[in-house]
Amino acid sequence: MTELLHVNGLSVRFSGLTALDDVSFTLQEGAVRAVIGPNGAGKSTLFNAISGYVTPTSGTVHLKGQELTKLTPHEIAEQGVRRTFQNGGLFPELTVLENVLTGLHAQIEGSFLDILLGRSKALKSEAENIHRARELLKLMSMDHMADTRAGDLSGGQQRIVEIVRTVASDPPVLLLDEPAVGLSPVARAQMMEIIHRLAGEKGVGILLIEHAVELVMAAADRILVMAAGARIAEGTPEEIREDRAVLEAYLGHS
Amino acid sequence: MSTTMPTSRQRRLRTWAFWAVPVLLLLTPLATNAYTQFIINGMLISILVTLGFTLVIGNLGQLAFANTAFFGIGAYASAILSAKLGLPWIMTIPLAGALGALGGFLASSAALRGIRSYYLAIITLAFGELMRWAYLHTKPLTGGTDGLPLPRETMFGISLSDDTLKFYIFLAVTVVLVKATLNLLRSRFGRAVMAVRENEVATASLAIPTARVILTTFIWSGFVVGCAGALFARHVGHVFPESFGMLHLIASFAMVLVGGLGSVLGAVLGAVVLTALPEYLRAFPGMEELFFGLIVAAVLVAMPLGLASLLRRLSPIFVERYYREES
Repeated sequence: MTELLHVNGLSVRFSGLTALDDVSFTLQEGAVRAVIGPNGAGKSTLFNAISGYVTPTSGTVHLKGQELTKLTPHEIAEQGVRRTFQNGGLFPELTVLENVLTGLHAQIEGSFLDILLGRSKALKSEAENIHRARELLKLMSMDHMADTRAGDLSGGQQRIVEIVRTVASDPPVLLLDEPAVGLSPVARAQMMEIIHRLAGEKGVGILLIEHAVELVMAAADRILVMAAGARIAEGTPEEIREDRAVLEAYLGHS
Repeated sequence: MSTTMPTSRQRRLRTWAFWAVPVLLLLTPLATNAYTQFIINGMLISILVTLGFTLVIGNLGQLAFANTAFFGIGAYASAILSAKLGLPWIMTIPLAGALGALGGFLASSAALRGIRSYYLAIITLAFGELMRWAYLHTKPLTGGTDGLPLPRETMFGISLSDDTLKFYIFLAVTVVLVKATLNLLRSRFGRAVMAVRENEVATASLAIPTARVILTTFIWSGFVVGCAGALFARHVGHVFPESFGMLHLIASFAMVLVGGLGSVLGAVLGAVVLTALPEYLRAFPGMEELFFGLIVAAVLVAMPLGLASLLRRLSPIFVERYYREES
């Protein structure tokens, strides 16, 4: 198994407040690592620091040996670390197909001038990527909704389209920020299935923030437990279930 | 509710319809008098002004009101290059566009420094007023309050004061710029512009350089409106600072909204309808402004998404999409 993501001593401090305190871990190809912890534990800050939305105070992030720490969000995404958003990152006024196509932006060829003049180079690449986007929607049985406004989809469908859009460019690493929140049990099962398929069949390394315990236990190979910005435990789902520090963080001292 | 999409037959129909409009318009000089021709020429200019405006406030979703500044820059650039440097007017069109684009670049630099929404609105309004001040106070170059007349010029042996000749030139420029803008919007660039409007943070997570998208949209908007300025300079034959004040900005804003925010079809409809409307209201002397205001308000109350939404309901060929199936 190749190592994809290497996070080393990542810290984020906002004027005295330590939001993320010296967090290190690695993510292997095809692995699913969950990040859990109570509210304010620093899970979202960890995601934001990896994806470039927050500048780390110290520490580094590498993807396959290449440093990402100083890059901007769109550069990190182009390198192959892509993420979803907790509150939904779809573009509601665009159609499902257009949303998926935005995920293929960097894959579509043709300069601004090629596009402006309608040159065949740009049109050909556009057509190829439209075809690809339709195929991806078909895999999720969403092809019949390609021309639906994304804002008109159900919550579960929106999450699936967001994941299709995020993985359309075949990124090696995927960060999922609470993909199951607000989903029905059926949609949750479907989400689990998608996560398994991405990791198992395509070898995507997945980092997953999730509160739904049964989903975390079933989907994750390893779990990172955080509290107050720091790592308090790390291990397989079985190990975490027994861990005293974890119980204390969630339930308080007894 | 999902919208029905055009079939491939309807897409062909749409392409035909797009080209049929300018081809049919070629015949208008046969059917109009000089006055009507002058009004129609003004419509073509307003189409470009509205198009550039709607791109920034509708598609990109930035509350920037520098549109009239781009227009004035283009008009003065064309007049100065013609009158002071003796350049043939036709050559001043792309140069006026380039200077309009520079104006767009300046306006975007405010947005890229994180000045957004109301703050961007006020700073871009100030930009427009600053430009007007510049026209007034650089008398040797702009003629100050007296304005700047364009020199007499002929093309193909016909005087450029001829409205029929101007019509054909304006039509060609308008068709080229509208088509180029449609090419941009129905591509990864157009999707990125819309994505920035909808959710800028999520857009960056898709490897889309949001700053460059904002910059490029402003520059293209400035180019289109700058070219329109050059057409306007020749249209009226004499540029004055008053042409580029708040009144013009508000009129363009009304065209954007009446047509439908962020719609190319809407830019065309809004410009045509609101340029034609005052001509019909001449039948009610003294009440023109009142009726104009009432009609604009009525359209916006009845159709908040503008006249374009009316056509979309009539036929799917008017649905605007941000990708291009045919290759």
